[in-house]
Amino acid sequence: AKTEAPVPSPTRNKYQNARRVLNSAETQNLPGRESQLQELREFFTTHLDTQTSGSLYVSGQPGTGKTACLSLLLRAPEFAQRLQRVYINCTSIASVGAVFKKLCAELNIKPAGRTERDHQEAIQKHLRTAKRMLLLVLDEIDQLCTSRQEVLYTIFEWPSLAGARILLVGIANSLDLTDRALMRLNARCELKPRLMHFPPYTKQQIVDIFKARLAEADVLDVFPPVTLQLLAAKVSAVSGDVRRALDIGRRVVEIAEQQKRVGEREFNMQALNFEGETKAKEDTLKPVQVTQVAAVLNKVYGASQNLDEDIEGAFPLQQKLMLCSLVLMLRNERNKDISIGRLHEVYRRVCAKRNILALDQAEFAGTVDLVETRGILRIMRKKEPRLSKVVLQWDEEEVHGALSDKQLIASILNDTACLGK
Amino acid sequence: SRLAEGTPRRSIQLSNIVEQRIFKDDDVISTPKRSRAKISHSGEGDEDYTPKKSTQKTPTRSRRASTTTRPAKDSAPLTPSQKLKKIRAGELSPTIEQRLRPVDKSCKSQLQLAREQLHVSIIPKSLPCREKEFDNIYSFLEGKIQDECGGCMYVSGVPGTGKTATVTGVIRTLQHQVAQEKLTQFDFVEINGMRLTEPRQAYVQIYKQLTGKTLSWEHAHTLLEKRFTTPAPRRLTTVLLVDELDILCNRRQDVVYNLLDWPTKSAARLVVITIANTMDLPERLLMGKVTSRLGLTRLTFQPYTHKQLQEIVTARLGGSDAFKGEAVQLVARKVAAVSGDARRALDICRRATEIADMTEQSVATATKCVSILHVQQALAEMIASAKVQAIKNCSRLEQIFLQAVAAEVTRTGVEETTFMGVYTQVETIAAFMGAVVPAPGRALRLCSKLGAERLIICEHSRTDIFQKILLNVSADDIHYALRVEGNN
Repeated sequence: AKTEAPVPSPTRNKYQNARRVLNSAETQNLPGRESQLQELREFFTTHLDTQTSGSLYVSGQPGTGKTACLSLLLRAPEFAQRLQRVYINCTSIASVGAVFKKLCAELNIKPAGRTERDHQEAIQKHLRTAKRMLLLVLDEIDQLCTSRQEVLYTIFEWPSLAGARILLVGIANSLDLTDRALMRLNARCELKPRLMHFPPYTKQQIVDIFKARLAEADVLDVFPPVTLQLLAAKVSAVSGDVRRALDIGRRVVEIAEQQKRVGEREFNMQALNFEGETKAKEDTLKPVQVTQVAAVLNKVYGASQNLDEDIEGAFPLQQKLMLCSLVLMLRNERNKDISIGRLHEVYRRVCAKRNILALDQAEFAGTVDLVETRGILRIMRKKEPRLSKVVLQWDEEEVHGALSDKQLIASILNDTACLGK
Repeated sequence: SRLAEGTPRRSIQLSNIVEQRIFKDDDVISTPKRSRAKISHSGEGDEDYTPKKSTQKTPTRSRRASTTTRPAKDSAPLTPSQKLKKIRAGELSPTIEQRLRPVDKSCKSQLQLAREQLHVSIIPKSLPCREKEFDNIYSFLEGKIQDECGGCMYVSGVPGTGKTATVTGVIRTLQHQVAQEKLTQFDFVEINGMRLTEPRQAYVQIYKQLTGKTLSWEHAHTLLEKRFTTPAPRRLTTVLLVDELDILCNRRQDVVYNLLDWPTKSAARLVVITIANTMDLPERLLMGKVTSRLGLTRLTFQPYTHKQLQEIVTARLGGSDAFKGEAVQLVARKVAAVSGDARRALDICRRATEIADMTEQSVATATKCVSILHVQQALAEMIASAKVQAIKNCSRLEQIFLQAVAAEVTRTGVEETTFMGVYTQVETIAAFMGAVVPAPGRALRLCSKLGAERLIICEHSRTDIFQKILLNVSADDIHYALRVEGNN
């Protein structure tokens, strides 16, 4: 779809072009997925040549190119003549049973009645008498799972319908959906869907994707190879999700652009100060640095460690005292079952020792709530707020890092007298 | 409701009315004047429509009675169904009754003016102390609009840290840019999870804001899907602001998935900005595939520090000297120590002006000023605990009962006590104090009264002497309340 985009205006710089070309929308060419595409093509052509039905289940982590591959093949002209192609995203149907209605609408067939059953029968009739083979792609098929799985079984049994010629493709994340949810299909060999797994992208594949994308807009020089290697290595080590990789790439470009803008502003200020040297700065864009990529990666993957830098003064005192009391209790008591009421008692003693006006219980419960939004705690709700349980989600070390107030923590943690009893 | 565990509980308003925000570029948004009281001619209100739930097919009788109709000019009176049809088609805009005449501005005292300025609903033109976040969101949105491609951003932070105000401020600035033709045009749609009765009503609201028509959610969803998946030349970029994202998450998460999946379609040109409280909401609550679509462009609003809060309040006050400097500082420090919530600081300041107004009736109106004492009083009202006061005001036997519960807790060492043990303690304490011991039946009544006041937590009284009793106040509070009283 990139070719349809309007011609970039001359004022756009390379950063902006790179940012635009790294968007995580659909693309035409899929480097790194050649073998999978080939396998899918073979599957389709063999079934087309023999005119037999078949089913296929495609699985893989989010962002591994499953939908991209299938939608590329749905657009492929070589199948256009021989196949009727239908794509349904199962998240956009009203309820599990409504998938038949949607399919009727896609196939342009008129059911006899308005019930689900009528739609189902109309589809089955269509399948028996259809002139062309049908390729049905069901994306996010795990949305169709119910307790009895009648809809999924109905759909996956269509290939065995007498006279039906249907190619069925289901896409989902989990590797073993057909083993978990569709066990009974294993009983009959002809119904067993063929499995196909999309592995997470490797480092080299991500590098190739970036190179292909950047070459599209001719901005390959924005990213030096070493930065690409670093980025790809990190993403493939953690998730192998190409959406993440593109996101990080875009983020790097955005930050580089911002820094450049700030730099220009400063340059202009300097130019105003020293009016003698008003040498116009050439628009030579620096390629992004390894340090910039590393900074973005740290920000993305170092979830809690980087908190302390921007937290500094912004962590309210009472919340600090609350966390310290919690750590104190977890350290010194065997009973890890801490209710808000118990925590409040200890917190009050801690406050009294430090000559700080303690909050009352109602306010204290609100404070615990606020800390929960940072993800440090979890509250197991009970009927009474006093009885709710508080569970620490972070490491003690991480809490120390986040509080960045070593003296306070040390003094409270040594104060076991506050525990009472 | 178990899903949205991360955020503080709020009561959900069961109305899916989304206000249309119209930004004028050179004025602040003033407080909506809602006068409920009907003025003399309440018999014939003019086009007094309350917006209705779109799902309802026919108006119920009470609904019909509550809205007074007046026929549109020069036409036959509308039947209720005609009216409803017009409302759904967006041809009638909802209005509320006007006041006869607003109060004159010039006769207000300085304190009153300050109080108006300190109201939470007045959003200043530029938000102090949020410049960095403003720049961040601005460059993101501007880039997306210039690039003509879609994307998502996740904004998080505790309540009252200026998230929504900053985002709408950015949108306003961008609309200003559009008006000056420095930027290509874009559509702006805003939904709030709390204003929807059900997550799927989001489709209805988005469609309504794009076209003005109200449809069923299935229909609206199909049309939106068509709009965002089929390429159309000259399509404008749509900026969609989703506030309270965590409310839109149901078990299937289909609404959130769709809202975040449309931007990945190249035809959609949709930019979604999502706002929520919880920092780790995507990891905690959303499915892997939704998190992957949400992306990594995130921004966290930290709570305000006391310096920032001080700056915010002084910026609101403008040049007026209705507040003493140290009074503002005290408010800022107290609030920053607890939550860093700007709304709360403003509320306390407003309360302080009210107290100053009341206490200094004698002083000439022009010289009234909020001092540190007024602020302390306001803080005591808004932050202080009412529990000690409640214990002090209990009847004598109730106080004995509370003491007995505390004594039983110290005796047994566990927090949970039974009525039987407590009653024994009541007998002992009453005997010691020379009071008459109440019969167990009456003691149960005392117990259920204290339970209703939430000073203790108790079971239903049908399990009489075996019912479990828990203290809902700390034992120190009881001793403090009763000892101080005893000294008097």
